[in-house]
Amino acid sequence: MAFLEMIDIVKRYPGVTANDHVDLAVERGEIHALMGENGAGKSTLMSILYGLQSPDEGYIRLKGSTLLLRSPLDAIAHGIGMVHQAFRLFESLSVWENVVYQREPRRGIFVDGARACAEVEELARRHGLPIDPKARVANLPVGVRQRLEILKALYREARVLILDEPTAVLTPAEVANLFTVLRSLAAAGCTILFVTHKLNEVMAVSHRITVLRDGRVSERLVTAQTDPGEIVRAMTGRAVTPQIPKQPRAPGHVKLEARGLVVEKDGRRAVDEVSLQVRGGEIVGIAGVAGNGQSELIEALIGLMPIARGSVLLAGRDVTCESVAVHRASGLSYIAEDRARTATAATASATDNLAMGFHRSAPLARNGLLQPKALRSWARGLIERFDIKIASEDTPVGTLSGGNLQKIVSARELAHNAPVLIAEQPTRGVDVGAVAFIHAELLNVRDRGHGVLLVSAELSEILALADRILVMYEGRIAAEFARAQADEATLGLYMAGGTRP
Amino acid sequence: MTFAFFNSTFFDQAVLGITPILLAALAGTLSERVGLFNIALEGQMLVGAFAAIAGSHFGGSLAAGVFAAVAAGALFSGLLAVGSALLRGNDIVIGISLNLLAAGLTSFLLRTLFGVSGTFSDSAMQGLPRLTIPGVASLPVVGTALGHQNALVYLSWGLVVAIAVFLNRTPWGMRLRGVGEQPAAAIALGTSATQYRFFVTLLGGALCGLAGLELSLGSFTLFSENMTAGRGWIAVAAVMLGRARPLAVAGACVLFGLSDALGLRLQGEGLPNQITDSAPYIVTLAALVIAGLRQRRLSRIPI
Amino acid sequence: MTVAAEVRAHLRRHVRPVLPMLGAVAVGFGVCGLIALWVGLSPSLMFRQLLEGAVEGPQLFETIARAVPLVGMTLAASVSLRAGIVNLGAEGQLALGGCATAVVALYFPAPDLVRLAMALTAGMVVGASYAALAAAGEIYAGVPVLLSTWLLTYPAKGLCGFLVRTSLRDPSTAWPSTARIAVGTRLGRLIPGTPINQGLLLIAAVAVAVIFIDRRSVVGFELRLRGLNERFARYGGVALRRQTLGVMLASGAIAGLVGAIMVLGSQFRYTDGALTAPQYAWSGTLAALLAGGEPAGSVIAAVLFAALQTGGFAMERSVQIPRVLTMVLQSVVILFLAMRGAIWKRP
Repeated sequence: MAFLEMIDIVKRYPGVTANDHVDLAVERGEIHALMGENGAGKSTLMSILYGLQSPDEGYIRLKGSTLLLRSPLDAIAHGIGMVHQAFRLFESLSVWENVVYQREPRRGIFVDGARACAEVEELARRHGLPIDPKARVANLPVGVRQRLEILKALYREARVLILDEPTAVLTPAEVANLFTVLRSLAAAGCTILFVTHKLNEVMAVSHRITVLRDGRVSERLVTAQTDPGEIVRAMTGRAVTPQIPKQPRAPGHVKLEARGLVVEKDGRRAVDEVSLQVRGGEIVGIAGVAGNGQSELIEALIGLMPIARGSVLLAGRDVTCESVAVHRASGLSYIAEDRARTATAATASATDNLAMGFHRSAPLARNGLLQPKALRSWARGLIERFDIKIASEDTPVGTLSGGNLQKIVSARELAHNAPVLIAEQPTRGVDVGAVAFIHAELLNVRDRGHGVLLVSAELSEILALADRILVMYEGRIAAEFARAQADEATLGLYMAGGTRP
Repeated sequence: MTFAFFNSTFFDQAVLGITPILLAALAGTLSERVGLFNIALEGQMLVGAFAAIAGSHFGGSLAAGVFAAVAAGALFSGLLAVGSALLRGNDIVIGISLNLLAAGLTSFLLRTLFGVSGTFSDSAMQGLPRLTIPGVASLPVVGTALGHQNALVYLSWGLVVAIAVFLNRTPWGMRLRGVGEQPAAAIALGTSATQYRFFVTLLGGALCGLAGLELSLGSFTLFSENMTAGRGWIAVAAVMLGRARPLAVAGACVLFGLSDALGLRLQGEGLPNQITDSAPYIVTLAALVIAGLRQRRLSRIPI
Repeated sequence: MTVAAEVRAHLRRHVRPVLPMLGAVAVGFGVCGLIALWVGLSPSLMFRQLLEGAVEGPQLFETIARAVPLVGMTLAASVSLRAGIVNLGAEGQLALGGCATAVVALYFPAPDLVRLAMALTAGMVVGASYAALAAAGEIYAGVPVLLSTWLLTYPAKGLCGFLVRTSLRDPSTAWPSTARIAVGTRLGRLIPGTPINQGLLLIAAVAVAVIFIDRRSVVGFELRLRGLNERFARYGGVALRRQTLGVMLASGAIAGLVGAIMVLGSQFRYTDGALTAPQYAWSGTLAALLAGGEPAGSVIAAVLFAALQTGGFAMERSVQIPRVLTMVLQSVVILFLAMRGAIWKRP
């Protein structure tokens, strides 16, 4: 009987079974990787383990006794801690306030801040996670925030630690540091569950692997006895897909240019004097760990964020302080990362969402009036071309899965056929087949002579598509490479703030 | 204008005018910190004002009136608590409809329970008695205003400090702030966001009930239809100006109370009351605009 | 698709969305019935009086006459609500518009029909300009329209009250009001023997225009999408600031027009408080909220509310049940709907 068991877990949502009779067994002191593609059911399973959701069927056993988890409070009481993929921190509070939240040391009816600070400092030192207890979270860089998340779990004496895609926001060096910490925690008896889709990390640090596919367990593997190929087969049911061949192309005129761009946020420079150019017929990739100014840079380029200094030129025209409407009219389209909040309107139909941006001119509108038939056929055309799984063009898009929603956004923005396309995390949460499709479309845009600015946290995506690669670190362009000169190791070095030796 | 313009009556009226707005603004402050946008302060105050009169009249004592005001305020805010905190409906729509419900309900009950329309007043009814603070009451000009007020006025000052301390120094205040700022984080750590929102709303209702009590039983003992006259909205503006920080919000309330008293004073000097009645609203608007312009200049959003 | 499946799909598309609204109305009636019982009045008597008072005989014309300003105010509210902007100052815009109309109708030197047209226009222009102040407040200083429009209502009503007591005062009247507007500058009766005047045609035209623009035009599309997700609209290239201004101008203009119609079509003078006493602005806003800002639904809701209010008056006359109960009914309906999250579920 294993230390931690999840037995016959079933969790259904309307239209999809996220977990379909899943069994999981983990030993004490083990680093166990939970793998699978986007949408395989990993996050759902872990949120059940942490008490954020309850399973429709099945139960959890810890040290032989069944657990009833009604909320995270119960999970924490049993020693289960979770570090989420999207950090859940209180920005305006300090580090120690975040750590002790809901478990504050007290003096009478007041919070004992001094004692809390001391306890946090001691905890951080003991586990090799250096941090300043008094710092405000809003000022902390991403890597430090993750340390804070782990500290939160450790403060609650977690004996089981769940990490959901922890390395998405870390540089290669920080990843190595994280693994050291995990190994020492495991050696001290902490059981670690590690949700990821990254092969190399799983090979580096895990003891055993459970692979999920389409909501079911597809394979249980021992790391030392398996190889990446077997894992990929278990995840996708296919062999590793070959790279899409890329034709070399001579770049044309400069379509998008930023000169000395400075963007300020929360009192500091999120973008610190960035200059770049995107020419027609090339894909410029921006590599970098999330949180180094990429989002702010993109928002400034599109007109969603105010620019403190510098300028943005589109097809030679200065659009620096202009609205998004002007940017778009000057030939820019934008696949936004935040598809639910920014790039779509959840309660509006697919027709409405796909029409946005096109709705002012022919064929969708004439003389200020919409043409309903043209709107419908436009929507239907895009739905078919991009193979978007939706009941009809009148269905509100809020009901769609992440992958399909991403297709809606990509379909619309690609249909603009604009001279410059900015693609921000264009394949996040998208299944493998659709990833290939979107990559092919991006290459298509480039081959047609347009310029593409690609921002992605997936180095493999950047290396597959980009002609030129820029690395962003702490708001600046740390390095620039032609594709031929770039490799993962060198990029990783610059992403971490290093310089050429 | 002579120096006697700002005499003790002026300050006394100012303090009396500030108190209901302050109590309501404190309710709004707590709501804001827990992540709810409470614009039903107006309606809750009105319900409290009516309940105070009704309770005092039918219950026969001031204590009954106080109890009725607090209970009615809390019960009425229960609608907001269920709709906004529990069911997560739209704050603004619920708030507006609650305000109108309060106006309609109180007018209806005024007619059916008291048999009058417009105003009910009973000079024999006991209003809130004034207490005296020995040293302070004998100060020149501001003596009456600060040293000779009813208990609710002093309670409101105490509450400003208490709420500030509560939010910043106690565990529950910290958890409340967490719920308002980042509910997902709070829930992931086991805090029941729903419970905090619910109780804060009910507490806010009780505070607004007290605000209404101050209106109807604080100086003259009467209730007239829609007697809150927009004070609930001024409280909303105060919360915005003070950025939901209790001390700053109290400062905003003082500003409005003073402008209200100024309006009354100018009326006494002969200015038409249609103009002077608008004084607090214009001051509020001006303050909001000035604060907004400053904010814009600081973060340099392009016009 | 089979016939059964088609019927089901048809029901789902058209009937399902209306069910929450019907449920809310049922709850509203239930609550009012309970309140009536609590104060010793008969609910069934109340409801019968309400219904008869709304549609029986001459009451029907009364309802239609009341529906004109109510529908007008709901259009004013729904134009901005569609974009997610709450205009709580329609009452002030209404009063200022009516006052301006009276001034022009009384004192502007021109032939009758021209003066009439100028008076109507003045009402719209003044209402629009006043609403634009709130728009400017949001655009340049970030003051929410919700708050600024409400605050601006008081100075608006105060100014009108002041003017009508001083420079515009007609000393022969007991209540502060302007002189009587000459017959030639009025909006005539549409149906003789009824209180319905030509204002009906104006409001009907506005309703048609608003509904058409909302459903079929680019402007309407952008408004609707902004109401659904403002960030998405901005990202999609909608000029938000220009839209805010445009929407407030339209909203204020319609409110001002309603004031003009009330002055020129039924009251024939501007009397302090007379335009705002029937509380058309609040009922109009409630009707718009009930329909979620959708213009056609708002109009229907407004007509229903007009019937409710006429019935309420009749009910008060015959069985002495205070007519404010109808306001309670309206509020409860909206409240219930909002609580069920049917109106703009919080993201």
